[in-house]
Amino acid sequence: MALRISVGQYVAARSPIHGLDARVKLVCVLATLVAVFCVSNLAQLALAAAFVLAALLLSRVPADRVLASVRPLMVFLAVLSLFNLFFVRTGDVVATLGPLSVTSGGVLAAALYTARFALALVMGSLIMLTTTPTQLSDAFDRMLSPLSRLGLPGHQIAMVFSLMMRFIPTLADEATAIIDAQSLRGGAFDEGGPVQRVRSVAPVVVALLASGLRHADGLSRALDARCYEGGEGRTHFHEQRLGIRDAIAALATLAFVTALVALA
Amino acid sequence: MRSQVRAQVPVRLSHVTLVYDGGVRALDNVSLEVARGERVCVLGANGSGKSTLASVICGLLAPDEGEVELVGERVCADGTPDLVAYRRARRSLGLVFQNPDDQIVTSVVEDDVAFGPENLGLPREEIATRVTRELHRVAMDDYAKADPSRLSGGQRQRVTIAGALAMEPQVLVLDEPGSLLDVRGRAAILRVMGRLAAAGTTLVHVTHFMEEALEASRVIVMDRGRVVLEGTPDEVFSHGDLLLGLGLEVPFAARLSRRLGLPWTCDEQTLVNELSEIRGAGPFASSAPPSETSEPAPPASPLLQVEHVSFAYDRGGRALDDVSFKVEAGTSTAIIGQTGSGKSTLLRLICGLEAPDEGRILVNGNDTFSRRGRRAARRAVGYVMQHPERQLFAETVEKDVAFGPRNLRLPAEEVERRVSRALEIVGLSDRRDASPFKLSGGQRRLCALAGILAMAPRILVLDEPTAGLDPRGRAMLRGVLAHLREQGITLVQVTHSMEDAARCDRVIALDQSRLVAMGGPREVFSRANERRLCENGLGIPRSLRVARELERRGWPALGDPLTTDELVTSIEGACAAQDSRAACPPLNQEREPRGA
Repeated sequence: MALRISVGQYVAARSPIHGLDARVKLVCVLATLVAVFCVSNLAQLALAAAFVLAALLLSRVPADRVLASVRPLMVFLAVLSLFNLFFVRTGDVVATLGPLSVTSGGVLAAALYTARFALALVMGSLIMLTTTPTQLSDAFDRMLSPLSRLGLPGHQIAMVFSLMMRFIPTLADEATAIIDAQSLRGGAFDEGGPVQRVRSVAPVVVALLASGLRHADGLSRALDARCYEGGEGRTHFHEQRLGIRDAIAALATLAFVTALVALA
Repeated sequence: MRSQVRAQVPVRLSHVTLVYDGGVRALDNVSLEVARGERVCVLGANGSGKSTLASVICGLLAPDEGEVELVGERVCADGTPDLVAYRRARRSLGLVFQNPDDQIVTSVVEDDVAFGPENLGLPREEIATRVTRELHRVAMDDYAKADPSRLSGGQRQRVTIAGALAMEPQVLVLDEPGSLLDVRGRAAILRVMGRLAAAGTTLVHVTHFMEEALEASRVIVMDRGRVVLEGTPDEVFSHGDLLLGLGLEVPFAARLSRRLGLPWTCDEQTLVNELSEIRGAGPFASSAPPSETSEPAPPASPLLQVEHVSFAYDRGGRALDDVSFKVEAGTSTAIIGQTGSGKSTLLRLICGLEAPDEGRILVNGNDTFSRRGRRAARRAVGYVMQHPERQLFAETVEKDVAFGPRNLRLPAEEVERRVSRALEIVGLSDRRDASPFKLSGGQRRLCALAGILAMAPRILVLDEPTAGLDPRGRAMLRGVLAHLREQGITLVQVTHSMEDAARCDRVIALDQSRLVAMGGPREVFSRANERRLCENGLGIPRSLRVARELERRGWPALGDPLTTDELVTSIEGACAAQDSRAACPPLNQEREPRGA
């Protein structure tokens, strides 16, 4: 199962994080993400790590589920840190490895950039793990409603997003099956020059496209049958009311961002 | 919220014709009424127009000609649709169709059930009441917060039914709701439908499983866009020859009662009652049960050896636990087991897509533990996955089938020879220039099969090869497999059909990752195993089931009939052996067919 995608797999639980209004959660996470990406010294990193860890503990999501949703990008992270390690040339030389040398600045950059990227990933996956796609799209819906007033399809954007989240695992499973099947018929997807490679993925892409169209057909039939006619006149099963909890979350995030700025 | 008056005749079509782009007449002058509380079953082969009919009935398609009245709204007159009326009507019509994946729009069960009521603009409390009520009705109460992608197909389909019911439709249209499900999933859907019918819900059920039509109050048979038969199940299924001609079947009991020359019935229980009466008072002479066909002598060397194999995916428990068996060259093997019993995983291991964690698998002498061994296994094994037609991609049937041989870098003549041969085996020689996407469902699957046959595998491994096909498609595929077997190709297939399993040389039963029974079909379906198989939700072939039921009611031993033919022979044999004074009617006299 090469393409097991677990991004956006909601983990049902009762926790303060699960209970937050999705809009507040979105805004808080966005603010945290921006702040985390501005981390530039170790004190800030420690604070950010503490904040993210606290959120993680509060959410009661099992650690292996968080890890599973971050894992696909781990390789990317590793490469990123290696780049920093070898190519940042500030500070003293700590070690030499043949033509490559590692500087203290490189070590710091490697640790810092990788760590903050990892924190951002955990934070990003946290919202997916604690928020149902319905809550997310409802939140988007509300937040994008100013767009709708301007005549832009705010609600539809939210709906498309929610459906995308729903279909990613389905399509990933199908892609895996198709790749397996075509490689059993001798299809090679990692050989030859660029032209040959593009040509060799055609059997997978075309079949996957056909399957995507089939799902789209079915989905549109289902949406029609269930009287989906856009956002107008639609009610919501889940209440969206801001509570004391949401205020606390917003204040905590604000405090975190302020502290981070103070440590700069 | 507008509350609509419940219409007495919620569906009324008169002289409806619908033509798709390209001139296909999907519906041709169809007139149909469905009264409130009726349970109508629509039967027909692929392409008979039954799905189109379902779409018209639930207000998703407007016909080109004719009049349509749905839930009291006149939505289409003289082929002119009234879109506003359609929108109103749709609020009172529900639809469930084949693939639950396409119908579930969120990743939480209760949110999905709530989706329809939300669209109807119902108040929150009302939505909550309906969600709870409908999840209870389909026995999914415990899964309200679950992620649908972690549920079985049958459970998912029950969620979609709850989603449709939560809109309180006056008519619920079910378009082949069980065609992608396993036996247990299908049975659960039928139970839910039975409860709905008992509660007075108007149901229109489209299916190509004849047995599912037996509970209906009315059966409609479609062919090429027309209604060709209509009546109670008994009336419709008495036209056996006509149904066969339309690419359909008759239920097992109907076939059996006709073969035995008994009063015609399509209800298994009636038939068994009838047969137990025939037995009369006289004791049976102790007749030897009909001679059993002997097991084929095991040939010398096994082509496939699975030895103490265990396997687990990254997360979750073991998918396979200490499984061992052998497959001799030229034999056919059926693997049976519930969804989740490890069948598909076993196939992946055999094909060398995964390596076992423990134990070993030898394919044609190659150990699949090493990469090289797996590569060799992949050359020897042709793997036909579930729904292999989803892998079709080329512009023409010919190019698709040639994909494999070309990858092997075979010379052009050899590719051509293999393609022609494969297409000939599956009977698609005359469609080689057609687009694979233009073929019928059964043909598409055969085309995918040809693509694998062109790789010239020694073992053909199939995962539920007949799933989702109509009777004609199933028959075509079974024919091709029988032909391949004659040619000496070793077959290993996962199947949910105990009848298919009974036709194989060997049967392997898996349950919860373990091998629970193995041997010839007669051994596996033996009395000793019967209870366990039924408890595991697998059951035994229906001929055997009828024989056992008769024996329980006082018939002498009937042997182990695995097919209808064997059952007929057994019953006739038992009757012949009985003394002439017994009240046994002339069973071997073929009854004249009724109607036409």
